[in-house]
Amino acid sequence: MSDSYEYILKTEHVSKRFGSLEVLKDINLAVKKGEVICIIGPSGAGKSTFLRSLNQLEKITSGKIFIRDELFLHRENDHTVDKLPKEKQQELLLEMGMVFQRFNLFPHMTVLQNVCEAPVVVKKEKKEQVEVRARELLEKVGLSEKADEYPSRLSGGQQQRVAIARALAMNPEIMLFDEPTSALDPELVGDVLNVMKELAESGMTMICVTHEMGFAREVADRVLFMADGIIAEEGTPEEIFTNPKVERTRNFLNAILEA
Amino acid sequence: MKKFDFKKYSKQIITAAVIIVICIIFAVLKPAKDELLSRTSPAMQEMIAADENSTRKRVTVTYNDLLVINYVSLSSSGANVMSEKYVGLLGSVYSADEGGMKVVGQMVNYTYRMLGCGENLMHGAKLTILLTTLTVIFGVMLGTLLALGKISKNKILAKISSAYIFFFRGTPLLIQLFVVYFTVPGICGFAWRDLFPASDAEAVYKGAFTAALIAFALNSGAYCAEIVRSAIQSIDKGQFEASKALGMTYGQTMTRIIIPQSVRRMIPNVSNEFIMILKDASMVFAISLMDITTISKNIMTSEGSYLVFIPALVIYLLITAFFGYIFDKIEKKFSVYE
Amino acid sequence: MKKKVMAVLCAAFMAFGLVACGANEGNTDTANTDAADDTAAESTIDISGVTLMSDGVLTVGAEVGYPPFEDFADDGTTPIGFDVDIITAVADKLGLEVNIINTAWDGIFAGIGVNYDVACSAITITPERQETMLFSTPYINNYQAVVLLADDDTEITSFNDLDGMSIAVQKETTSDILMSDYKSTGTIDVQIVANEKITSCFTQLQNGEIDAVVVDSTVADGYVNSSDAFKIVYKDTEEPEQFGIAISVDNEALQTAINEALAELEAEGFIQETYDYWFGSVTE
Repeated sequence: MSDSYEYILKTEHVSKRFGSLEVLKDINLAVKKGEVICIIGPSGAGKSTFLRSLNQLEKITSGKIFIRDELFLHRENDHTVDKLPKEKQQELLLEMGMVFQRFNLFPHMTVLQNVCEAPVVVKKEKKEQVEVRARELLEKVGLSEKADEYPSRLSGGQQQRVAIARALAMNPEIMLFDEPTSALDPELVGDVLNVMKELAESGMTMICVTHEMGFAREVADRVLFMADGIIAEEGTPEEIFTNPKVERTRNFLNAILEA
Repeated sequence: MKKFDFKKYSKQIITAAVIIVICIIFAVLKPAKDELLSRTSPAMQEMIAADENSTRKRVTVTYNDLLVINYVSLSSSGANVMSEKYVGLLGSVYSADEGGMKVVGQMVNYTYRMLGCGENLMHGAKLTILLTTLTVIFGVMLGTLLALGKISKNKILAKISSAYIFFFRGTPLLIQLFVVYFTVPGICGFAWRDLFPASDAEAVYKGAFTAALIAFALNSGAYCAEIVRSAIQSIDKGQFEASKALGMTYGQTMTRIIIPQSVRRMIPNVSNEFIMILKDASMVFAISLMDITTISKNIMTSEGSYLVFIPALVIYLLITAFFGYIFDKIEKKFSVYE
Repeated sequence: MKKKVMAVLCAAFMAFGLVACGANEGNTDTANTDAADDTAAESTIDISGVTLMSDGVLTVGAEVGYPPFEDFADDGTTPIGFDVDIITAVADKLGLEVNIINTAWDGIFAGIGVNYDVACSAITITPERQETMLFSTPYINNYQAVVLLADDDTEITSFNDLDGMSIAVQKETTSDILMSDYKSTGTIDVQIVANEKITSCFTQLQNGEIDAVVVDSTVADGYVNSSDAFKIVYKDTEEPEQFGIAISVDNEALQTAINEALAELEAEGFIQETYDYWFGSVTE
């Protein structure tokens, strides 16, 4: 893969409408390789929708998405104006791993099978090789002894760490986290955040939608505050958390910190 | 592969062993066929001897062997009607012309006929089981394709699947059976039995069975489609999203992720469908095949014996119990992860 | 818009259906008048010694629902058929009206002399029955017949020639019992398929599923006459079944009168004519 690009991921004027409801309004974001971006904001702000638009789980209404400076998709008024050929799109999408709020592990497969499934089926890698890598990843998220368990036997925190390992098994360049700790009991949140922290430190490009302000403050290179479908404020964690310029941001942070 | 847990099943094993031992004792002590035949009256034996060189034979000799008990019936047709019946049990031969032994003899004979012993594969309980099992297998496969068609984004495919399901659920199976067996070959100019070699004496039954299987599978496919569709749609949307996020195609998602999870959810409904087909299998009377129900009805009308329905019920219950057990095992196998 | 079109179509379809039903009823009426005209004749036979249920009326028991012997016309209430025409003509000869009482086959004999004077319902004359009731002379002979496709050159001169074939019979009929007997005694090896309806047997023959149909000659005559596809290749005249009118055992006078009437009808050619009308073929 050539590294001769400026932004690993970029959006221009991305909008999304569900019927008459405008969920995303003109979102512009450019992400450099290795950056860790946290998106915070009240619920209903469009954070998840934006994240899901990036890897095509949602179709944007209009705007452009670039991956590695290549125009991945350009849509206007719910019509595709321009896009990469399907195979190329598929290839680039594999560079994005995603972790869901509700884990979405495959319940009929063991932990190890969950991690190995996509590399074997999608990338046609040799099963033996994938298994070695999968065990390493499980070791990394601290679950090597659970390899042969079914997901239903695992706690929420353990399941989410398996989900991270599963996404990592595809060797993505970017990891998208959609509120990865919101569905967890408080005592289980720490383990997941630790794994994410390690991942960030290893140089992974990450975009996290999160309510964990401590995590955002510590790990993020940049924090986006979204409200009502727009990026209301953007800056370093320092700027956002200690000296927010926009009133909405201030109110939101006050409400969170008081709670 | 897990080791078989003997302790867990000790009761069942002991019961099975006792039954098998008793059966063996009965089977060994059962008189031989010749012993039963040797009891026949001289007049009957004379008639049998006369039949040897006759072009129109008169005596029907029926021998039914049901492992633990056997039964012989000799009867002559024509002006000189004679009838003798014997039951062989535990080393003795009993005359079964009247009284309790007559009932026993009838039961052996009815059971033997309904099980389809001594007949081809397309007869009696064998037919019922074969047709029902194959119908469910093909029905589920066809139903899965139809369900995928119906929920597919391809509008033409979805319309075709919906129309198919509407048609086959909206018309009676009996008429579909008639159409497949009578109408289609009539229009297209072929015969079902020609699918089999002309030298095959049973081709006529095999042909009818093929037609029945096609009609039943086409019909069952429509019902299974709804079962599969509701099972697929009961799977959490997150499973589709996770698969897509991992780069899996629609086909991979369906075959690797969604359908395996749906299997467990469709088993109870497929099991119901199985029992429905088991009962519907009696419709094959319409195309000259005889399943358990048809045979028992025939015996009832020709012999006027209502006793025939008792072994019929027992046979049906045994079949239902056996397959219920199988479905239970399949369901357990597919729900290990829960 | 689409829905409206559908509604109009449905309405039109149903209206057509109703009109069609009405038309049928009309046809039935004319058919009945014709039949009545045919049988009009003068009484010539003396019935002074005959006792009847009710004066001037021959009360007849029949299981209506066995075409073409007896069946209801399309109106669902008027009995028609071969037996009906015969017994009406017989009554006419005796100067009597006919009153047909529809009765179940089971118990039809118990009603003779109790609920009706005679039973005329495709009843086979058998030695057992002759012990408990009187029979008229046979008015029709029925044989077991073998029907093949018209272009089939197979020669059948006895039932033994069916060896190795696949044949169709109607379930629980004389044909079924006879063929099953041939098979179970080991006389011939034959694959028998038994159907609820005789029509299925002929469709199977036409489609080539089976080689031959074994059936009552009366029915066979009807089929062969109405279709060029079939031919009768063998009739088992050795063991004919004869149909007679069953009469109460103590009513010999009525038996004599009926036999006289039948003899006259035979001589006039009425029986043959009626047979041809209902079965469409010549029989011995």
